[in-house]
Amino acid sequence: MSASDQVQSPPVPAPARTERSHRRPVASWREHHGWSAGDSLRRLFSKPVGTLLTVAVMGLALALPLAFYLLLSNAQSLGDALGRNQVINVFLKTDQVASNAQLLAKQIEQHDGVASVTVKTPQQGMEELSKMQGFSDSLHALDDNPLPYVLEVQPQDGISADAANHLVDDLRSTQGVDLVQDSGTWRERLDALLGVGNRAVLILAALFALAVLLVVGNTVRVDISSRAEEIGVLKLIGASRAFVRRPYLYAGVWYGLFSGILAVGLALAIEFALVEPVARLSQAYGGKLRVGGLPPWLLLAVPVAAAFLGWLGARLVSAWQLRRAA
Amino acid sequence: MIRFDQVSKRYEGGHEALSQLTFEVATGEMAFVTGHSGAGKSTLLKLLALIERPSHGHISLDGQSLTKIGQSGIPKLRRSLGMVFQDHRLLMDRTVFANVELPLVIGGIAPQERGRRVRAALEKVGLLDYECQLPASLSTGEQQRVGIARAIVAKPSVLIADEPTGNLDPQLAVEIMGLFAEFQQVGTTVLIASHDLPLIKRMRKRVVVLDHGRLVADVAAEEVL
Repeated sequence: MSASDQVQSPPVPAPARTERSHRRPVASWREHHGWSAGDSLRRLFSKPVGTLLTVAVMGLALALPLAFYLLLSNAQSLGDALGRNQVINVFLKTDQVASNAQLLAKQIEQHDGVASVTVKTPQQGMEELSKMQGFSDSLHALDDNPLPYVLEVQPQDGISADAANHLVDDLRSTQGVDLVQDSGTWRERLDALLGVGNRAVLILAALFALAVLLVVGNTVRVDISSRAEEIGVLKLIGASRAFVRRPYLYAGVWYGLFSGILAVGLALAIEFALVEPVARLSQAYGGKLRVGGLPPWLLLAVPVAAAFLGWLGARLVSAWQLRRAA
Repeated sequence: MIRFDQVSKRYEGGHEALSQLTFEVATGEMAFVTGHSGAGKSTLLKLLALIERPSHGHISLDGQSLTKIGQSGIPKLRRSLGMVFQDHRLLMDRTVFANVELPLVIGGIAPQERGRRVRAALEKVGLLDYECQLPASLSTGEQQRVGIARAIVAKPSVLIADEPTGNLDPQLAVEIMGLFAEFQQVGTTVLIASHDLPLIKRMRKRVVVLDHGRLVADVAAEEVL
């Protein structure tokens, strides 16, 4: 007879799993995440040099497109100051009288892309000419004022080359207009250059985002490899695959978040470093140049997007690496 | 109750570790599985923890057929078991407290309750004053007691141990076995694989003897000399 036949069966304590799944599943889920987040942070801080280096590499990778974005937005502002949206001069036909000029000015002001219209009378034009060296004597020789009414059309800030060209075409086809003078070529070239810059920033951002993904992925891969024994122990004592994986996903989030914050910090430092020289440049253009900083939404979006990239990199690699570790 | 019914295990390569093994361990019973090296003791425990699957036969635990448990059900089963290993399998970069706490974290137990239970388990194995220390600073016997505290902290219905005293001196080994006996007293089913015959005899518990994967003797507690 086996000893089992003689053993009384005292009450058996309920297994822990029963408590978790039936009494407080939401709280358990929250505690699991809290523990995993804290555990992954503890791991990161337990190897500060390695963590700092990883975060620094990722932060620099993210800061570069931000810096380019900052320079580009200031280049746009500089372009505006240099005359991107400089005045379009509309010369009316000589038979146009003051009332016609005022009427046309009001019509043109309604046009999309027009900030303001100033009417310059022939008399004002003559006065301006007379102030120019060499014109004064010859103007006295004229019996009549031959100058027409001129409308100075100020395009809106940041108007695109296409919109400006469209505006110029409309002005040219307006009845009573003799000649339209604008800086279309300059505007087109500037827009083309900014277009190249914008595209370059997008490509750089995509490439560096990929770099962040790879850096996090490789870091998590190495981390999982070095913790194969720990993973084995966790599985032996009942950890699910999701539980084992979760700290590595959080590690990806932390790496991304910290590097995003570092990137924003670096970009702000660059912005700060540019303030003084740009202010001097602005003075040279009569204060017309506005220093464009990084918009607040971008400062928030970069760490969030970086955290997402970190999570994604960790997720892609951990699934594969944990299968291998198993 | 643990039940093995005509269980065989053949590893890849053809080695048969267990052959037609049939036995039961009642709820709340403590039993030793013994035999020479290669007798199949560790394989038996691995089958129970679903680390390995049987080639033939059925295993059930508290009425639940282990054969029917899929890959996704393994963690749940293991949470109902307490496992003690010869090499402790402690996480050396975590404190004693954190090691013992792990099964409760996995089980989703609230932090306050975790702290209470961990301290109770550490008190039970006499290591309450060591909770903030790292395992590396403890002796082998103390590390094994941490492993036992981790195994019992989630109040498992079944406790299995693979050569838990293999690395300990005789005095410590007796102390550790005494702990297992205490857990049996409160209703935990305890199954221990060990080749330490003098110690097994001293414990005077049921002994299942394996030889080349076959059950060759099943000695009741009162028959152990």
